[in-house]
Amino acid sequence: MSEPVMRSPLCAHHLEGQARPIDGSCGVWANELPHQGYISLRGNSNDQAFVNAASAALGLSLPVEPCTFIASHGVTVLWLSPDEWMIIASRDQTSPLLASLRNALQEVRSQVVDNSGGYTQLVLKGAHALDVLQHVSVYDFASLQPGRVVGTTVGKSSAYAFRKGDGFRLIVRRSFADYIWRFLARAAAPYGLGIAETREASETASGALSINLALG
Amino acid sequence: MTSFRIRRPGVRINFDKQLSFSFDDQLYAGFEGDTLASALLANGVRMLARSFKYGRPRGIVSAGPEEPNALMQVEAGAHTIPNLKATQVELYDGLIARRTSGYPTLEFDLKSFGGLFARFMPAGFYYKTFQNRKLWPKFEHIIRQAAGYGRAPAEADPETYDHSHRHVQVLVVGGGASGLLAALAAGRAGLKTVLLDEQNEPGGWLLSSPQSMIGASQANDWLQTTIAEMQSLPNVEVLTRTSAFALHDMNLILAVEQLQDHLALAERVSNRPRQRLHRIRADNVVLATGAIERPLVFGNNDIPGIMTASALTTYLNRYGVAAGKRVLLQTNNDHVYQGACDLARAGCEVVLADVRTRINPTWEKRVRAAGVDLRTGHGIAYAKGGRALSGAQLVKLDAERNVALGMGPFIDCDALGSSGGLSPTVHLYCHDGGRPHWNEAKLAFVVPATGRAKSGIYCVGAVTGEFGLQEPLEQTQQTMRDLLSSFGKTATIDAVDVQTGEPPAILARRVFRIPDGKREGRGKKAFVDFQNDVSAADIHLAVRENYRSIEHIKRYTALGLGTDQGKLSNVNGFAIAADALGKSIPEVGTTTYRPAYSPVTFGTLAGAHADDTFEPRRYSPMHEAHVARGAEFEPVGQWLRPWYFPQAGEDMHAAVRRECLAARRGVAIMDASTLGKIDLRGKDVRELLERVYANAWKKLAPGKCRYGLMLDENGMVMDDGVTACIADDHFVMTTTTGGAARVLTWLEKWHQTEWPELDVYMTSVTDHWATAAIVGPKSRDVLAKLCTDIDLSPSAFKFMDWREGAVAGVPARVFRISFSGELAFEINVDANYGHHVWEALMDAGREFGITPYGTETMHVLRAEKGFIIVGQDTDGSMTPFDLDMAWAVSMKKPFSFIGKRSLARSDTAGPNRKQLVGLLTDDPDTVLPEGAQIIESSDAAPPVPMLGHVTSSYYSAELGRSIALAVVRDGIKRRSTEGRNSLYAYARGKAHKVKLVSPVFVDAQGERQNV
Repeated sequence: MSEPVMRSPLCAHHLEGQARPIDGSCGVWANELPHQGYISLRGNSNDQAFVNAASAALGLSLPVEPCTFIASHGVTVLWLSPDEWMIIASRDQTSPLLASLRNALQEVRSQVVDNSGGYTQLVLKGAHALDVLQHVSVYDFASLQPGRVVGTTVGKSSAYAFRKGDGFRLIVRRSFADYIWRFLARAAAPYGLGIAETREASETASGALSINLALG
Repeated sequence: MTSFRIRRPGVRINFDKQLSFSFDDQLYAGFEGDTLASALLANGVRMLARSFKYGRPRGIVSAGPEEPNALMQVEAGAHTIPNLKATQVELYDGLIARRTSGYPTLEFDLKSFGGLFARFMPAGFYYKTFQNRKLWPKFEHIIRQAAGYGRAPAEADPETYDHSHRHVQVLVVGGGASGLLAALAAGRAGLKTVLLDEQNEPGGWLLSSPQSMIGASQANDWLQTTIAEMQSLPNVEVLTRTSAFALHDMNLILAVEQLQDHLALAERVSNRPRQRLHRIRADNVVLATGAIERPLVFGNNDIPGIMTASALTTYLNRYGVAAGKRVLLQTNNDHVYQGACDLARAGCEVVLADVRTRINPTWEKRVRAAGVDLRTGHGIAYAKGGRALSGAQLVKLDAERNVALGMGPFIDCDALGSSGGLSPTVHLYCHDGGRPHWNEAKLAFVVPATGRAKSGIYCVGAVTGEFGLQEPLEQTQQTMRDLLSSFGKTATIDAVDVQTGEPPAILARRVFRIPDGKREGRGKKAFVDFQNDVSAADIHLAVRENYRSIEHIKRYTALGLGTDQGKLSNVNGFAIAADALGKSIPEVGTTTYRPAYSPVTFGTLAGAHADDTFEPRRYSPMHEAHVARGAEFEPVGQWLRPWYFPQAGEDMHAAVRRECLAARRGVAIMDASTLGKIDLRGKDVRELLERVYANAWKKLAPGKCRYGLMLDENGMVMDDGVTACIADDHFVMTTTTGGAARVLTWLEKWHQTEWPELDVYMTSVTDHWATAAIVGPKSRDVLAKLCTDIDLSPSAFKFMDWREGAVAGVPARVFRISFSGELAFEINVDANYGHHVWEALMDAGREFGITPYGTETMHVLRAEKGFIIVGQDTDGSMTPFDLDMAWAVSMKKPFSFIGKRSLARSDTAGPNRKQLVGLLTDDPDTVLPEGAQIIESSDAAPPVPMLGHVTSSYYSAELGRSIALAVVRDGIKRRSTEGRNSLYAYARGKAHKVKLVSPVFVDAQGERQNV
């Protein structure tokens, strides 16, 4: 039996093989950041017991201000609605996080769901990244401040989006990833689309990944 | 052929760059800066169209989007575009244009022959003539040919389009003097500002009046300075060649930007879109949309060479084209006087007929000094000429009443321009429901200068009825002060000197149709709408036939229904209708202004929603594995699922037979990843399930699964699926592939609005889990090779159990459930491992002949067992009882469930309902078409009472014969009543004898799934 190998939602596009360091040759640079862990967390923002327990388990304070996110020690927590958050972490961090969240929230009205197979992350950079987002989405991305996250449309699908460094991140559902990638690539074509070499991408692409995600 | 090029200072033509183009295969020359219309005029081309109904020769009438006649087919082949207005087509080298009317030729048009058609084509001609619907298609083909209009391209569009979403603080529509000043004010105040102008450069009317002064600057200099300043501001964007065509609620403005239409085909950048749709959300909109001059209505006013007076001026001053050597101008207002001076100074012989007797003394002095022959108190009774204008008969008018006092002189002329006043471009203001109001002093439908400030809509300039230059600029300064104060900003354009030195205008005379001394309809034809050949007499006829509402008169006569949308004709039409009705113009009102202001291409509306990004295509995590095995795919909702896996030489039927037999006799494998999956957690999940499903959930233990039917409020089946109990407070629900989003929304709606007290959270995990179903008597053997930590023995792992373990080295949830009636396991893993697990199962199953199958085989297998597909065997009108699934309904639950009460409604619980049954055809090889109608006898002569229809129909390899499912009135009782269970299925002209049976065709005892 062969070793288990993960295949990311955009695996068929063979992006890692085309990736190169970002330079001035293209107006837009993009890539997939594959194989990360995604946890859906549900609970009530107004329930202090829930907020405290979740914050303690995550090691950071759960963002309760609408449309904000917090990133710390490799864990990113996106506020999605008054009773929903998405936690993004490396695969290695995901199982311990799931366990500690479940443990801390045992007695609290809440839900912790491993959704790692259900999402992927796209990175978008370059001089015309904002123009591309303007083409594909109704949201005013120019007004998106650092530290804020928004759920919006991408063509006829949707994504969660936030700024990271000098670029943007889009969290998209696995089954829509191909459509969204094609839609972004089409919008980016007039500006020149380069496949960006990303630190995160090279990290995950190289090492063999341990499989220790818990079920339940 | 007397129009000619004239090199004047201030024109926007680059005489150093000559361009060649063709019209109807004839080669011509023009210059950079020309429109197709100005270049044709410069070449003396007069007649370039034939009219819609009467085939009359027509020429260029305007210089803008109001053009009714000069419709062109531009370019050929895949690049061809029909019905472009020559006045809006920028000339480029090598442009190919063709006429869109004139049948069979422009020179000889059948419709004009002997005026034969004209006599028989009054208003409402089509309504009156083609009442016979059966004959219409025969006539339609001929009429369409004769009527004109271009042809849509027959080839795929080689160009691309895109959309852009913009969010601005101030959007200014229209780049004339007022719009520029408004944008400058917003820009200087630091607001995020966009200015849209539909032409190749901003300037509006200033481009047609280069001698105008604003402060100390001449128009061209003022434009240059103002635009340069705006371009230096980082917060201001000026979009030219961009036409705002719709204004929707919440200040959403749609505009189309022409990015490449002005370039020669060879110069167009291949990966750049041809046109872009801008969807602009604006905190504030400043409408500076200007006005369009309307002509006066008089006899033969459609002869080529007759234009609006402003068009004559524009061609002269902007494009350097004099439309004739001897020019007759006719007006009821002051606006034409400057143009008259310019034409005279350019060397034309100019006669100016003003219908007023009292005129503006300043202008009188100026035109006389320029050498213009001024005739006051005169209008034009009719023009003379065929394919080109030769002269016009003046008529002397009463000073007060609009009646003819007798004929005046006949004026020889080769160009004629008339002005009946300006009609403000109120369209955008009116798109979200507003109406313009009639200003009797200005003779115009205007919008309020205050706009709708509460909604952030402001109006400046000619659109408000301020028609000069100085007054609109002063008004713009004031309006922008108000707008900016809402941002807490002060306007810094107060210092702009807007003194223009223009003489104050005096009142226009209220006349639309020049009287010719004859009753309407007796004199020469006087056209109101050129594109649809609507004459003043047609409007009078409509009123005589008792049409009272202007909306009805419009539709009956076709007034304003052309591609120009009545930009020239509507106000004249409303006024003539008002006179005929004996009403005032405000009483008659306007028709409704609807988007689009001017035609927009389908490509632009579609944008990037085309080709492989037309619609989201969702893929399973194992998609590539299926592609590699040569699967044929079918769309299921947005998903693309394997349909069947043909081997060399197999058609679908052969493949499906092979796949079915593998599942029944060996082992087969299907990708079930697309099923909807919802994770539910909380101590009240069980209670929620009790309420949203028809059956009971209280006793479902951890480790067990159960099938459920979900009903809507009417008791009708809306979804079904298996739900597993993970723990007492944790369940995973599966839904149909197409129902996933709907079911989650449904559950959230009930939970959030009706039962918020229930401790439940739910999250979609559809995309998280990849699901492979291995099916068949040998499926346990396959699984055993890959899974060692689950006891797979029949006693330890029973039908409808689920277990957790590792499959192919990956953590998995394994469900022992079956949609085929066979021993089966559904293996769920993190989707990133879906492909790996699929391949591992294929490897492990090779020795057992594991066979991948798709949706078609899945359908056959489930139909053999009588398992329904919600949406195929049900249609929103089937209860569980109609489906003979009373076992899936528990009427004894303590709390009600959704749909329960409706099941007791008299009709729902009554007799004679359509019920699910199995069908067997007499001929075992006949596979009935789905949708075949179930009838009582083989005699299909109408009327035939319909008893039901076939919902599913397949060939069953297992049984060696066809099977079908159907819904039939009273079917459950019928099928067991000898004598009543023999019916006919009628399809494609044939009645097939069928027998009603149980829908469970295979393994009636249900033993196989328990082995």
